[in-house]
Amino acid sequence: MAVAEKKRTDPEKNLRIGVYVCHCGLNIGGVVDCRAVAEYAATLPDVVLAADNMYTCSDPGQEQIKADIREHDLNRVVVASCTPRLHEPTFRAAVAEAGLNPYLFEMANIREHCSWVHLHDKEPATAKAKDLVRMAVARARLLTPQTEIEVQVTRRALVIGGGVAGIQASLDLAQAGYKVYLVERSASIGGRMAQIDKTFPTMDCSICILAPKMSEVGRHRNIELLTLSQVESVEGYVGNFKVKVRQWPRYVTDECTACGDCVAECPQLAPDEFNAGLSTRRGIYIPFAQAVPSNYLIDMELCLNKEGIVACDKCYQSCQHQCIDFGEKDKIHHLEVGTIIVATGMDVYDPTPLTEFGYRKFPNVITSLEFERLINAGGPSGGHLIRPSDGRPPERVAFLQCIGSRSFRSNVYCSSICCMNTIKDVLLIKEHWPETEVSVHYIDIRAYGKGFEELFRRARMEGVQFIRGLPGEIIENYQARNLTLIGEDTLQGAIYRKEVDMVVLSVGLEPRADSEIIQRILNLSQAADGFFLEAHPKLRPVDTPVSGVFLAGCAEGPKDIKESVTQASAAASRANILMAQGRVSVEAITARVNEELCTGCGLCAAVCPFKSIRLEGEGKDKKAVVIEASCAGCGTCAAECPFGAIEQRHFTDPQILSQVQAATEIEPENLVVAFCCNWCSYAGADFAGVSRMQYPTPVRIIRTMCSGRVSTKFIAEAFLRGAAAVLVSGCHIGDCHYINANVQTEKRVRKLWRRMEKGGLDPNRLQLAWISAAEGNRFAEKINELAQIVAKVTPAEIERSREFFKPRKK
Amino acid sequence: MKEVWKHIEPEHLYFCYECSRCTGSCPAAMVLDTPGPRRILISCLYSGPNAVTSEESLWYCTTCHVCEDRCPQELHIVELLTALMNVAAARGNIPDKVRAVVEKIARTGRSVVTYRVDEERIRFGLSPLTRINVEEVEALAARTGLFEKVKT
Amino acid sequence: MKYSFFPGCFIPARYPGFEASTREVLRLLDVELVDLDFSCCPPTTSVKLVNYDTWLALAARNLCLSEEQGLNILSICNGCTATLTEANKTLKEKPGQRRKINQLLKDFGHRFEGNIEVHHIGPLLNRNIVLEALRDMVVRPLKGLRIAAHYGCHYFRPPRVMFPHSLTAADSYVPVALDNIVAALGGEPVQYSRKFLCCGSVLGANIGGDDTYGVVWEKLQHMADREAEAIVVPCGSCFNQFEMGQVMAKRRKKIKFNIPVFYITELVALAFGLDPERFGLTEHTIKTKNFLDKIA
Repeated sequence: MAVAEKKRTDPEKNLRIGVYVCHCGLNIGGVVDCRAVAEYAATLPDVVLAADNMYTCSDPGQEQIKADIREHDLNRVVVASCTPRLHEPTFRAAVAEAGLNPYLFEMANIREHCSWVHLHDKEPATAKAKDLVRMAVARARLLTPQTEIEVQVTRRALVIGGGVAGIQASLDLAQAGYKVYLVERSASIGGRMAQIDKTFPTMDCSICILAPKMSEVGRHRNIELLTLSQVESVEGYVGNFKVKVRQWPRYVTDECTACGDCVAECPQLAPDEFNAGLSTRRGIYIPFAQAVPSNYLIDMELCLNKEGIVACDKCYQSCQHQCIDFGEKDKIHHLEVGTIIVATGMDVYDPTPLTEFGYRKFPNVITSLEFERLINAGGPSGGHLIRPSDGRPPERVAFLQCIGSRSFRSNVYCSSICCMNTIKDVLLIKEHWPETEVSVHYIDIRAYGKGFEELFRRARMEGVQFIRGLPGEIIENYQARNLTLIGEDTLQGAIYRKEVDMVVLSVGLEPRADSEIIQRILNLSQAADGFFLEAHPKLRPVDTPVSGVFLAGCAEGPKDIKESVTQASAAASRANILMAQGRVSVEAITARVNEELCTGCGLCAAVCPFKSIRLEGEGKDKKAVVIEASCAGCGTCAAECPFGAIEQRHFTDPQILSQVQAATEIEPENLVVAFCCNWCSYAGADFAGVSRMQYPTPVRIIRTMCSGRVSTKFIAEAFLRGAAAVLVSGCHIGDCHYINANVQTEKRVRKLWRRMEKGGLDPNRLQLAWISAAEGNRFAEKINELAQIVAKVTPAEIERSREFFKPRKK
Repeated sequence: MKEVWKHIEPEHLYFCYECSRCTGSCPAAMVLDTPGPRRILISCLYSGPNAVTSEESLWYCTTCHVCEDRCPQELHIVELLTALMNVAAARGNIPDKVRAVVEKIARTGRSVVTYRVDEERIRFGLSPLTRINVEEVEALAARTGLFEKVKT
Repeated sequence: MKYSFFPGCFIPARYPGFEASTREVLRLLDVELVDLDFSCCPPTTSVKLVNYDTWLALAARNLCLSEEQGLNILSICNGCTATLTEANKTLKEKPGQRRKINQLLKDFGHRFEGNIEVHHIGPLLNRNIVLEALRDMVVRPLKGLRIAAHYGCHYFRPPRVMFPHSLTAADSYVPVALDNIVAALGGEPVQYSRKFLCCGSVLGANIGGDDTYGVVWEKLQHMADREAEAIVVPCGSCFNQFEMGQVMAKRRKKIKFNIPVFYITELVALAFGLDPERFGLTEHTIKTKNFLDKIA
């Protein structure tokens, strides 16, 4: 341990920086000469203590830091070790315990970004480690203490969607003692699970196990059930959401006893949505027998009474309880909640575009959902499996898998539940009508869950024929309305022509058609397939990037009932964490406006992905105001502001510029300065390290929370200081952790490319790369590419870019 | 492998998960003894084009493109088969009928015999057949290497 | 409307009646045709399979001939349309191929510019204004006779090449032109199973043997099941296959389908009241007498 002479940059500030270089056993120490790096650190201005140790994150390591802070009066701490994404919270907690503000702590990543990726380049790795330490120290000098603000959390929750996931989440939260608003678009809760006959793998009756939960929801004193309701707008931020819900009128009051007298009188008919259009319902109806609430309702689109004119009052006349009210109007509810759970569910794929299967042309080709209704005792045929063409039971039934899934012609993903759903369906057929010949045409059978393989085995034992190879097309014998499947049995290597009486298309799941509305209202991200994106696919599977909003059920992706219920309970638990505390602290990396410099131009508000910046005041007094609790800390506003009037705490311009300057102090002409976003590309670089992918040494990475933070200023500074190349990298477009901030990054880089081209500079020296956290190989490839560019850049070009980026007098 | 891959990109072909909608739709597989597009594609990917380029059944493809229409991975199956047939032809594997018609086209500019056709045409009030610049056609065929493949 | 006329090889030599009826029908519709010295397209079912470069070069040459007259091409055969459309698209979209081809064509005074389109008689007659004109000119309507349209594969597949602007949600395309024309002429278009299956003529042409007729036999069976009284096709090869298919069915399977086959413009000519004998409509291998009597 060396306690160095006090070299100061700014005597007034009395900076006393302690630097710890970790060996991490041999992980770092086996490649980087940690002692030499520590000795180098000791020579840097303001560093009063530099040490190298074996395992800094261990208890003794942490204790050492705490002791040094107290003993040597350290007011900044730098640890050069692994990735901050792993241990920054650990060390922040440690320094806080020693009485130092945790935001005065900085890390240099000399493991994932250095020792692990330059295993055979020890000398350059050591030099790189020194650079990275110098950069961390430069930033540490400019760090200021921060306080995290605390926000109150309202102890009420909103659950959007009344399927099994929404039901489970509502019950969990209600039972924990919170008031829950359950908002459901249709007239009854229950969702898809209410439409299914039996569930796999237990073959339970679906509505039988769901109905008790449904009625509990209806009864629970903590749950306010709002059916025929839709969320219209959500304002506010975590813990303090203001939600506007519109409730459409039922035209039937709560006195309704569900006697059903009115239905017999109603002259109007429409396809019954609950029965997948296989039967009809009247204008006044109950969605299904076990509906909660059990009130009937009137479909005003269908009813003969419109716009206040009562042309037909048959139902009113027949109702003994006088509970029909044609005059009901929309009701608006204003709710204040602390957390929101999105459980909006899914739709099934409509296979009409796949014309080779004849859906909607041939009456005996049906979807798995239609099958579910036919075989259900409460369905249009009383549970008898009948052919739509002639009402007779089919003797031969074929199931076709992967319809609308795993295909570029429809949806690319696997819908996960169709294999098991079919296996359950074929067992039901065999159970009730054992003489029926049943075949399943598949590509792969996915029986991944508990009890699934056993059910699959049972199906084979019952004599269900599994034929590997989907038919190319289905043709109809149009007199008998039988169907012939023409395909290849790939396991036999033979063409088959199979005549059957009924075909069931095992259709995939899709995000709900109206999920875009919720996405817009709540600022959620959608993945490429349209389902809502979770904050982290492994570690935060029910969180969304928006604080306080959680996902449950098929809204997040295709899954079965067990997974939906599990996720619902998980989401309830996450919401509970926020609401139990009653308050939540916001990481101190939010944006702050300097009112003196702010001109009220509104550029920051325009790019904020979370709509967390408002303009207040009139004329000259118009200023930007940051709603700190909903600021996610991406920093895009700071990069966008032309006046430097808004800064991101802990990621200020001077702090980042100091890193750029420190990086380019030694031999910048051989370097790439890389800006990587915390969630994707920095993580991708970490992943490359974890996987020990080797790449050349010339890159120096600077971390921002979001690539949107990367201001043109930073890039210009790098080139001004003589860097050979610059890399700006972030999440893939559409996957940005801050929804769409990376769109601004792209715009800025494109603009800069155009400027560079005009100025005769090679735009290839500025690279833009979208690299996800899983794409370590892409990161390594990119660095390889850049190393080649660096090797080819001439001194003349470096000089030209230095000149070009010199700040001009306005 | 490279000869085939200069015509078509292989990476995309690896998307095939052998659903066999292609072979299930193929008219040739319906009536003739051929392994069908799925097996040809898979053999080619995993055993190399040599596994298929000496098969006569390669030439059963009618280029009807129904396989491509129905393929969920949107693979360009006919492009692959065309490339394989090109390679097969270079190695001397061409059905006689194909060889004959190709040569006729290259030498006469037409794929049909035109003996006494003009007489029939006059009967329908049509002018005689147009005169084709046969030299140009033959020269283009020669320059593009056709005659090496259709050696007679 | 003015086009360069691409009749192909087959129709002018084997079925000149089709060419004659096409020319007359288009004359009546005020479409001007210009004859150029086109060579064989050449086919995607023979030359392209043997040597891609030759196929592209010869197709490019044909395209250049029309470009040099500043005319779009009107083709009356599925195969020719497929070849020329695909070659046109490839040369327009792939600068590498275009450079190579132009290098070759340079010595013959040709240069592919990529400024024309290729059209087929079916979609042409299906255009709204043409259909209107068609309806107006019908004097001998087809009396609701059940007519099964067979489009043939090269008419519309692959849709990303042949109908790139009309793809469905499943990246497919379902053709309707011939059915619309039949309806406009007063006939009843018939739907039947495996309507879009290949006719299988290429199997006979390239491989040979009676088994190859199995494909067209299936189609004929489905058409017969739906009581089709005639078949209409937009291609000479398909026409031949449907006639020979019926001949072979009688010979080998003792099945007599007796469904007359018509080329699309033959039907139009009939509906326009023109003399059937003038275009050889009474000379088809599968007798057309019953059909002609019904609409007289």
